[in-house]
Formats: sequence, C-alpha cells, structure tokens
Amino acid sequence: MAPATEHQSSFLSRISRRSQVVSMEVNHEQELEELEDFQKHVAERFTELLPPSDSPESYPILSIQWLRKLLDVFMSIESEFHSVLTTNPSQISKPPLDKIVPEMLDRIVKALDICTAVVNGVDSVRQIQRCAEIAVTALKQTPLSDGSVRRAKRALTSLLAALNADKNSGSSGGGSGRRSSTDQWSSFGRRSGGSGGGGGGGGGGCVSKNWSAAKQIQAMTANLVAPRGGEASPIYIMSSVMVMVMWTLVVAVPCQTSNGLMVHLPLPKNQVWASAAVSISERIGEEMKRKETRCGGLMEEMQRMERIGLKLMEFSEGFRFNGEDDVTAEVAEMEETCRKMEDGLEVLQRRVREAFHRLVKSRSEILEVIDH
Amino acid sequence: MAEFDSKVPVSGMNNHVFEACHHVVKALRASDNNLDANLRKLLSDLEMHLSTFGIADTKVEDAGFSEIKKRFKEAVKRIRSWETNQSTMFEAGLSEADQFFQALYDVQTVLVGFKALPMKTNQMEKDVYNQATVALDIAMLRLEKELCDVLHQHKRHVQPDYLAVSSRRKDIVYDESFVSLDDEVIVEASSHEDDEQISDFYNSDLVDPIVLPHIKAIANAMFACEYDQPFCEAFIGVQREALEEYMVTLEMERFSCVDVLRMDWEDLNGAMRKWTKVVKIITQVYLASEKQLCDQILGDFESISTACFIEISKDAILSLLNFGEAVVLRSCKPEMLERFLSMYEVSAEILVDVDNLFPDETGSSLRIAFHNLSKKLADHTTTTFLKFKDAIASDESTRPFHGGGIHHLTRYVMNYLKLLPEYTDSLNSLLQNIHVDDSIPEKTGEDVLPSTFSPMARHLRSIVTTLESSLERKAQLYADEALKSIFLMNNFRYMVQKVKGSELRRLFGDEWIRKHIASYQRNVTNYERSTWSSILALLRDNNDSVRTLRERCRLFSLAFDDVYKNQTRWSVPDSELRDDLHISTSVKVVQSYRGFLGRNAVRIGEKHIRYTCEDIENMLLDLFECLPSPRSLRSSRKR
Repeated sequence: MAPATEHQSSFLSRISRRSQVVSMEVNHEQELEELEDFQKHVAERFTELLPPSDSPESYPILSIQWLRKLLDVFMSIESEFHSVLTTNPSQISKPPLDKIVPEMLDRIVKALDICTAVVNGVDSVRQIQRCAEIAVTALKQTPLSDGSVRRAKRALTSLLAALNADKNSGSSGGGSGRRSSTDQWSSFGRRSGGSGGGGGGGGGGCVSKNWSAAKQIQAMTANLVAPRGGEASPIYIMSSVMVMVMWTLVVAVPCQTSNGLMVHLPLPKNQVWASAAVSISERIGEEMKRKETRCGGLMEEMQRMERIGLKLMEFSEGFRFNGEDDVTAEVAEMEETCRKMEDGLEVLQRRVREAFHRLVKSRSEILEVIDH
Repeated sequence: MAEFDSKVPVSGMNNHVFEACHHVVKALRASDNNLDANLRKLLSDLEMHLSTFGIADTKVEDAGFSEIKKRFKEAVKRIRSWETNQSTMFEAGLSEADQFFQALYDVQTVLVGFKALPMKTNQMEKDVYNQATVALDIAMLRLEKELCDVLHQHKRHVQPDYLAVSSRRKDIVYDESFVSLDDEVIVEASSHEDDEQISDFYNSDLVDPIVLPHIKAIANAMFACEYDQPFCEAFIGVQREALEEYMVTLEMERFSCVDVLRMDWEDLNGAMRKWTKVVKIITQVYLASEKQLCDQILGDFESISTACFIEISKDAILSLLNFGEAVVLRSCKPEMLERFLSMYEVSAEILVDVDNLFPDETGSSLRIAFHNLSKKLADHTTTTFLKFKDAIASDESTRPFHGGGIHHLTRYVMNYLKLLPEYTDSLNSLLQNIHVDDSIPEKTGEDVLPSTFSPMARHLRSIVTTLESSLERKAQLYADEALKSIFLMNNFRYMVQKVKGSELRRLFGDEWIRKHIASYQRNVTNYERSTWSSILALLRDNNDSVRTLRERCRLFSLAFDDVYKNQTRWSVPDSELRDDLHISTSVKVVQSYRGFLGRNAVRIGEKHIRYTCEDIENMLLDLFECLPSPRSLRSSRKR
C-alpha cells in the first residue's frame, strides 16, 4: 500500500546522503542511553495502566477514567519521542529508514482518522447516555405506574438497540427512514435499532463513506515488525504504542466500522518496554472474545448499562402496578453510570482531540526533519 | 389554543389543613341558613374543589370525585382516539388541537392532585392514578409524533440558486514542465459575487412559521409534564436529519485524512472549492436559521435551547472542520495557493458567525476549533505563497526554449498572479509582517497609489523579480545572441502586457511598468544590433572594386538567407511588437540595401544581384512567423 506521503522519490536520495554525513557525527553511546531511557519511560507509563493486583475491580480497564489515563500515557510517551527526535535527529535517518519513516507517517495519518472516528463515537455514547437518563427519570417516579414503565420501556428499547447497533452494523448508509406508525414509535424514531449515518448509533457522524476503523487498524499493523538485531528503534516503539492506543480506543468506543476488529496485536512479547502493554492488550483481547464482539463498544460503562438495562427491561416487561418488585438499586446504579458518563465523556473527547493535534504536529516535525 | 401553564399542585400542604378547611365550610353551611345565593354557591364550589383532594367526608368525596372521574374518562377517550390517528392535529385544526391539550391538562390535573397527598389505600383511586399515568404517556408519545410529523411536513427549502450547478472548471495545472496553458485563463466567477446572493437568505425560515405556535405548545406541554428529555431527543432527531439532507443536496462529501492526502489535484481542487462555498452557506444561512428556530421554540428554557442547537449542528460543523484540518496536512504546493487563499479567506470571514452561533461555554470547543483552523489555514497559505517564489527560482531548464517565445513559466506565473488581486485583503493581512526586498524604491505622492506599496504588491513584485532572474538564466542557454534577446524581449513584453491589462496595474505601479518597458526595448535594440550590424556593414561601400562589390553582394545574400532561414522560425507572439520589429527592421535593412543597390547595381550587374529591394522587403515580413520548418526561399521569392 502506498504510504500517504508525497515525498517518495527525492526522499531516498536525501536520506542516503544525510546518513553518510550524520554517521560521522553521532555519539553512539549517548544514543544508546537515550534509547534505554525512552524504553524505560514507555514501560513505566504502561505499568501505571495495569490494575493493582490486589483489587482488580477497583480499576476497570476500558472505563472512561481508564481511557483518559491511556490517553495521558500516550501523550507523555509522544512527548518523550519528540525530545528524542529533536536532540538526535539521526535516530530517524539510520537505515533502513527509507521504508520505516514513510510507513510511520502513513500510520499517523490513519491514526488521525481513528481519532476523528472516536470523537464521533463518543457522541453516540452520549446519545446512549441520554436514552438511559430517560429510563432513569421514568423509573424514579413514585409511585411507579404503568405509564412510567411504558416510558421506561421505550427508552430501554432504544438504549439496548443502540448498544447493540454495532453488532448489526455492516451498512454505512444514512439513517433508516422515518417511521410514522405509532406502535413502532420511540423517542429515537428514525435512528433506533439501526446503525444510523454509518456511525455507531444515532449520535455520531461518519469519517467518510465506507471507512472502517477495523480496516485502518489492520493496515496500521502491516509491517509493524521489530527490527532485527534486537535493538528496537524509537520509531518502532512509538509506532507500536500508537497502534496499541488506537486499537484500544476503537475497542472501547463504538466507531464506524464494517468488519471485525483484530483480537491480537503484533506487539513483541520479549521486550521489556512492551510487557505491560502486551499484558493490557491480551486482557482486552480476552474481553473481546468473552463478549463475542468484534465491533467495539466495550467501554466499561456501556457494558454496565447493557447489563442493568436488560434487568430493567425484564422488570418492565413483568411489571404489575402495585406489585412487589423493586428496582431502586438498579435504577440508582444506572443513574450513577449516567453521571460517570456525564462527567467523563466530554473530557475524554477533548483528550482525543488533543491527541489528534499532537499527532499532526508530530507528523510535520518528522517531515521537517526529513526535508533538511 | 389551550394555555397549558403548569399549575402548581397543592403538594406539601398538610392534610389537616384541608380537613380543617372542610369542617369550616360545613360549619358555615350549617350555621346560617340565610346565606345569600352567591355565597352559597361559592361555598359549594369550594367544597367541591376541596373534595377533589379526597378529604374525609366520603359522601362529598364521592360526589366531587365522580365529577373529576367523568372528565378524566372523557380526556382519556380523546387522547386514545388520537393515538392511532396518523394525520396531524395541526391539519385537523386549532380547535382539535386545543381540545387535545385540554384533555391532557385534565389528566395532568388528576395526576398532580393524587401526587399531592399520601397514597390512599383506596384501590379505585389508585387505579385511576395508574390509568392517568398511562393516558399521560400515550399523550406524550402522541405529541412527540406530532412534533416530528409537523416539523417534517412543513420544512422549507433553503437553496440559493447558484449552488444548483457545480461546474468543474479546468484549472491551472502545475507539473514539472509547466505544460502549456491557454492564455485565455478562465477567470472563475468571483466568490464575492455570491455574497450578495447569500445575504438574501439570512434569517430564512427552516419551517413554515405558521406551525411555530403549535410546536411551542407541544414543547410547553411536554416540559410541564416532565417529558422534556424525550421532547429534546425527538426535536434534535428531526432537525439533525433535515440538516443532513441539506448537506446531501449541497453535495458535501465527507473525506478522511487518508482520502485527502491521496486525492489528485483535480479532485482536491473541486473539494476545496466546494468547501469554500458550503461553509458559508451552512454557517451564515442554515445554522443561523436553525439557531433562530431553536430559540423560537425553546426560548423559554434557555440553556436547553443552546444544548439542542449544538446537538443538531455538531455533526455538520465537525465535518466541515475535519475537512479543513485534513487539507492543511497537505504540503504547500504552489498551485494550491489560490485554493488555500480562498479557504483561508472564508474561514476568517465566518469567525464572526461562528462566534454568534456558539457564544456560550457549551459551544466553546467548536468555536475555538474554528478559530484554530483559520489560523492554521493562514499559516499554510502564507507558507504556500512564499514557496511559490522558491518554485519559480528552482525551475531549471536544460535546453533553450524553442523559438525564443514566451516560456511556460512566464505564462503560468503571470496568469496566476492575475488571479490574486481578488484576495487583496487576505494577502495583505497575511503578508504584512513578512519583509521582502522591493524592486522599486518606495515613493509617495499624488501620482502613486497606496496599493502599489502594500505588502501584497511588494511581494508580487518580488515574485516577478525571481521570474526575471529565472528567465535570464534560461536565456543563457541560447548560443545565438540575437535569439537570447528575442527571448527576453518576448517574455518581458508579456509580463508588462499582463500587468498593464489587469488589476495588477494598480499593484505594480507605473514606475515598474516603465522600467520593464525600457528593459524589453533594450532587448529589441540588442537584437537588431546582433542580427544586422555585421550584415549591414557589408552594405557600406568604400570605393570598392567591382569584384569586391560583387563579393559583398553575395555575402549579403548569404547572410540574409541565413537570417531568413533561422529567424522565420523564431516567434514573437505579440502582434504589435512583431509589427514594430518588422517595421524597424525593414526601415533599417531596406534602406541600406536600397542605398547600396542605388549606388552599385549597375557596376555589379543584374546577374550578380540575388534579391531586389522588394524581395528583401517582402521576405522580412516572414521573420518571426514561427514557421515550423524553413520555408523554401525560392517560393517566397515568387510572391
């Protein structure tokens, strides 16, 4: 696949000229030290993301808060990479860099699109949150009546449909047509039950027609091979980190995607910097297999909403006025989850946009280094 | 139309107070049989009212209660009748709608009343309450449907005409060799012409205003019954879908960053042009109207109006932003300058509108994103502009340009510059702090236009100076001095004509024009000297012998043939210049020849004279005709 950069032909000559000049200047020892520092930094940051072994539940992977931390880790590693680049530009001019750097630039561009898709995806999670809030409002009515439960059922139907929308997705067309028959009517009329607009659920837009997050992630992993000789270059490490972070985001947030997301990432199992990252990605892979979903949307809060939503739906369907059943606990939990989303989603979106802009900057810096 | 104020229920009022009140009333009734009719009526109304809240006296209670129950039953019946009715209440008429709202009010009253008091153990009352909640929910659902149907059916189309046809015009294409362009560069319709059209559409109605009171009534009813969330979701859904449809009619496609980086120039050019048009229509026309609509419907609930508007517009705005972000990823190729300029210009222009659309905290991220994009476009455009010069400077030729005519680079640059005055304001603002050396000294005075020393003008002159240097280098490739001069003459003349004949005149100024006219005039002189001085020297006789004269004549003919052979293949595209050259050459050469022949023809003898004056005169006219191959000399003589 042709990398999305416009610098191919003259690039080769420039790089080969440069590497001849630079190799005379470089301080090899300093370089090695820097590489080691970078690797250590990466390992440490990822370790912070591992849940504490004594209480794994207190820190669920793929929760909104954890995802925010993931992005913090990414930005921090990216900063380190940036300083490695600027203090030692030769890092990216060593052979066989004539292929690796364009590939990285290509990956960055794909990552940009993934960030866009994730931002859109968070919007559709917001929409799901609003469904849930309506259900909560309805079920908090006291005394609970048939009318409230009707209302709750509608909201829960939309909620559950939206949560499972990606599983039915494959179409990236526009929203399903207007429905005007009352019995199918719901607050989310046109968008419930289908993958509207190609996004996950009714809230999000689409990156472009026929774009698929899974395909992009797949493409990003192409040629992501550890360089021989056991010495991982900063570029390789940064590329791997970027792929891992993007993959994780796509797993968590419902993104526009057509086919199945890969379950295993090609991360090196025997390199120290990668061990925490590998552990996390294996965990996530297991979760994907357990939920039998290859289309993302595994955010912890969403899963929780689905679980509670099903319970509440069961309750609603069997509801009798003046009956004995009580769902206050579940309703409270749903409300709490909504609150978490309310507090966390916007910040998450913001962090993803920041990552987008950082990647843009990174790309232009690399291009500048290449150009000189 | 039913006024649906949310009546404050007597919730929180103590049961005891009611009972006390009720006893007082009873006591009053019992104590004085001389109550006048009005007072008695008042008391019994009060009693009835009190009894709707289910107080102790069961007899009164039943009477009051059954009254309420009757109205309630009718209300439920009315509501249920609308449940399956597919047509809209709006169509059915105001009185129908009013009656529906009244029914809803009645149901809500029952609910509120029941909620005011602790739950009775009376199962009948509980059942009524339950039924009431269902009726309310049915009504709410029906109103939601009503909202969507009415908004959908009364949508108005906002479509400025010029959008209907998007023609793909052939643009200037840059490639390594500056493939030849028509001199007739199609000047595209100024995007500024569209401004007048757009302003006609400000404050358009997105829906027929006649339905607004009805929609507002629905909003008020649903909000009063605490169904504000479903209302908003439905409203957002309909409006967002309408906006999406609009984006489709505008043919605004969505592109990923990968797409934009891979696009070929023609497609990207089209997409950028489209964006430039669409972003204005969306922000200045459609979204402004949408915001107005949200305010009209939800103005009473201010923060909700803002939130709904943002949800409705977010997707469209983000797709516009995303394209802009993707475009600035591309490298700054000079041929993209014009497109970047217009994107930048538009992005700066709409900032005011964006600020008005998203003035609050909740919309701040969108607002800030637009400001940032505008800044990025500014930087990108400036870089591209500066690179334009670099590209000219680095354009190296390896072979001399055929025929000495106007080089592709010259055409390209001058035609491109001709497009730029349209963006004067933007360019001046982008370039104001970037220093550049000017080719003419700054002057002020009555005869000097301020535009001539604006930042843009200085930079344009600098670009042309770079072009001149490049042309000088290309001229060095000619072995023939005369052809070198012709080449420079042609190209400088072309530059001058382009400047004189366009908006560029006010930017370059008269002094620049004068200098450059002088420049190509010098080249004319050089040409004439290099071509003809040695040849005409042959015609200066000096008491020569017949043999010398004959030799001179022969050499002259040979030299002339040579010139003819070569210079008929040269090009002087500018017809005025060509005529001038013909005339001045003719005057010089024919005169000398005539003089020579006049003096010496007899001695030389006709046999040795190849050409007559007339011949020479005619043949001179063939010069610079840019003939593809040497014309046969014999045949031309027969003319």
